[in-house]
Amino acid sequence: MSHTLVNVLLFVAAATYSAAAVAFLLHLAGRGAGKTFLRAGVWLLAGGAALHATHIVVSSLVLDLCPIKGIHFALSVVSVLACTAYLIGRVRLRIDAVGVIVAPLALTFLVGSAAAHADASAAGPLKSAVLPVHVLANLAGEALFVLAFAAAVAYLVADKQLKKKHVTGVGARLPPLDALDRAEHAFLLAGFPMLTVGIITGAFWAERVESGSTVDVLRSLFGYATWALFAAVLLLRAWRGWRGKRAAYGTIAGFAFAFIVLVIYLVRSQSATLLHGA
Amino acid sequence: MIVVVGLSHRTAPVEVRERFASGSEGFDQVLARLAGRAEIDEVMFLSTCNRVEVLARPKGGSDEARARALKAVREVLAEHGKIAEPDLKPVLYEKEAEEAVRHVFRVTSSLDSMVLGEPQILGQVKDAYDAAVTAGTLRSFLARCVHRAFSVAKRVRSETALGAGTVSISSVAVDLSRRVFGDLEEGIVLLVGAGEMAEAAAKSLGKGAKEIRVCNRSIERAAVLAQRFGGAAAPLTALEAELGMADVVVTSAASPSFIVTHDLVKRVMKVRKGRALLFVDIGVPRNVEPNVHGIDNVYVFDIDDLEQQVAIGLEARKNEAAAAEKIVEHEVGQFLAWARGLDVQPAIVSLRAKTRGVLVAELERSLQGRLKHLPEGDRAALVQMVESATNKLLHAPTTRLRRAAGDGDAQTLTATLQELFELPVMHEVGDDGAPKVDDEDDDDDERAVQ
Repeated sequence: MSHTLVNVLLFVAAATYSAAAVAFLLHLAGRGAGKTFLRAGVWLLAGGAALHATHIVVSSLVLDLCPIKGIHFALSVVSVLACTAYLIGRVRLRIDAVGVIVAPLALTFLVGSAAAHADASAAGPLKSAVLPVHVLANLAGEALFVLAFAAAVAYLVADKQLKKKHVTGVGARLPPLDALDRAEHAFLLAGFPMLTVGIITGAFWAERVESGSTVDVLRSLFGYATWALFAAVLLLRAWRGWRGKRAAYGTIAGFAFAFIVLVIYLVRSQSATLLHGA
Repeated sequence: MIVVVGLSHRTAPVEVRERFASGSEGFDQVLARLAGRAEIDEVMFLSTCNRVEVLARPKGGSDEARARALKAVREVLAEHGKIAEPDLKPVLYEKEAEEAVRHVFRVTSSLDSMVLGEPQILGQVKDAYDAAVTAGTLRSFLARCVHRAFSVAKRVRSETALGAGTVSISSVAVDLSRRVFGDLEEGIVLLVGAGEMAEAAAKSLGKGAKEIRVCNRSIERAAVLAQRFGGAAAPLTALEAELGMADVVVTSAASPSFIVTHDLVKRVMKVRKGRALLFVDIGVPRNVEPNVHGIDNVYVFDIDDLEQQVAIGLEARKNEAAAAEKIVEHEVGQFLAWARGLDVQPAIVSLRAKTRGVLVAELERSLQGRLKHLPEGDRAALVQMVESATNKLLHAPTTRLRRAAGDGDAQTLTATLQELFELPVMHEVGDDGAPKVDDEDDDDDERAVQ
């Protein structure tokens, strides 16, 4: 019964995210009147995030696990946090239409985490006081980088439209370039300290665990590269005025590295499960 | 039904329209004179720079009554525009019944405007409606028609993109600045050149801007224009420093060579630390070197780009017009069905009164005769029974009559009903809902509400 409830919640949350993505797309395509589809998209995304959060809670109760321990939960939590941050920040940062990227990302993370349903205990020896701080900081940082990535992609689309002198069409419904640039910077600025805490606690924990597998080394390397890239984006913006397109490319590259770290976690978690099963 | 008499940019040249804009009387006087005409029952007067129109409901429903009302409106308009009636007639349009309703719906929805889809006309019709309500020249029928027109306009706005897109150079410039900066609350608009075009652009762009600065060869002219917008002036030699501060730059200077060059903007962008910069170049020859558009975070739109956007906007609106016309057609049908329903209302009221009258009279006779022993409670129950029987008996004929009226063929049924039940010939249902019995004026005995 409980497993059925978990599956139903997963299905309904995925359907709601999909509907939100479609509503945002229709808004961008200029269908419907005014902001009807935009409002629908925002409400659907909020509904999807609520269902998703419920799914995480119910799943963790069914599996009797802390929701931040397994990588599949971690992916899920990232997308719920990203949706929440978007819903809170969208009005102030005037980035409503960025939902068109946030909704599919949330859906991908939800479905991806379900597909990567692994035994959370495969995450290794977890009895450390530093670990929850490490995981929570990384999750929060990752959620903010998802939004920075979304703002960067939207910026590049809007910039390309203006450079091609296409004033009507999809670009017309995107937030102003300046708002996207500021939003991307704000999300990076908020996410970077989280990532820094994640890196420091990660290094501390790694030293304790003394794991030297190739996968762990790779994960650490990509983690440091992510930190260095985001640091460079922020520094160059302040020092040399690298904003707009350059900052957007830097943010996308940084997010790609952060995503690789998540994928490495995922692969390691899956491999551990297979070995454990064998 | 209703009539519309008027002139617009489609029928009258600007010289004629001007005469109405500065007519012999004010708006309220014209409305009062129209309302004072015996031939007109209800009236509304609409006057904009492109349109002068009278929407009226004639007193009486016959063709003659309509013709008299049309003539009355023509006379008032001719007097207002100080034009002889024969000279005015060629530029006037006159529409009646269904055509008039369609016209009102189309005008209010901006389908008949000079700039298709412009939003101002709805506000202007609302103002005209408010004035008529205040002056007491509207009653239920015309008021309902205009209210319906507002709903149609709302539907057109919300269900089509007739009002979307930008259709003037200045609105494209405003749209572009929104695309780059959102609002310009913290933004600075710089005008390079102090001519009429710069002033026109400043009027639209400068509305929400923090500051308007003017940079011109002649600092005196720059100062005059800057003063008009409460901004600051600078000579053209200070252009580089001005570009460092500005967010939106409107260039319209008369210059044979480029004033804003690639090298200049490259230097400026270093000072700006990459902050976005938008150039709206309305100068001919162009003031901004075209390859400036290739610099990161710099956007240049020249007059051709702007005109292209205007053409796209107009084309898009034209494409939406077909969908809007469909909505109007549907709503015209709905309104006419409702209006035709009013045709049979007198017959329904009359039939109901007769049926109830017969039953109540019979009941009264019984209650004073064989049933006079009945207590008060039983008498009340019998009265209630009569009411209920009347309703049940007349439900089917009432529904069928209304349906037939909606389909436009209730005339035979109404006549049959009057013949079979010897109903008095009634015409109009007044604002109090009671039918008026017409015993004279054979001209009007077809249908008052038609």
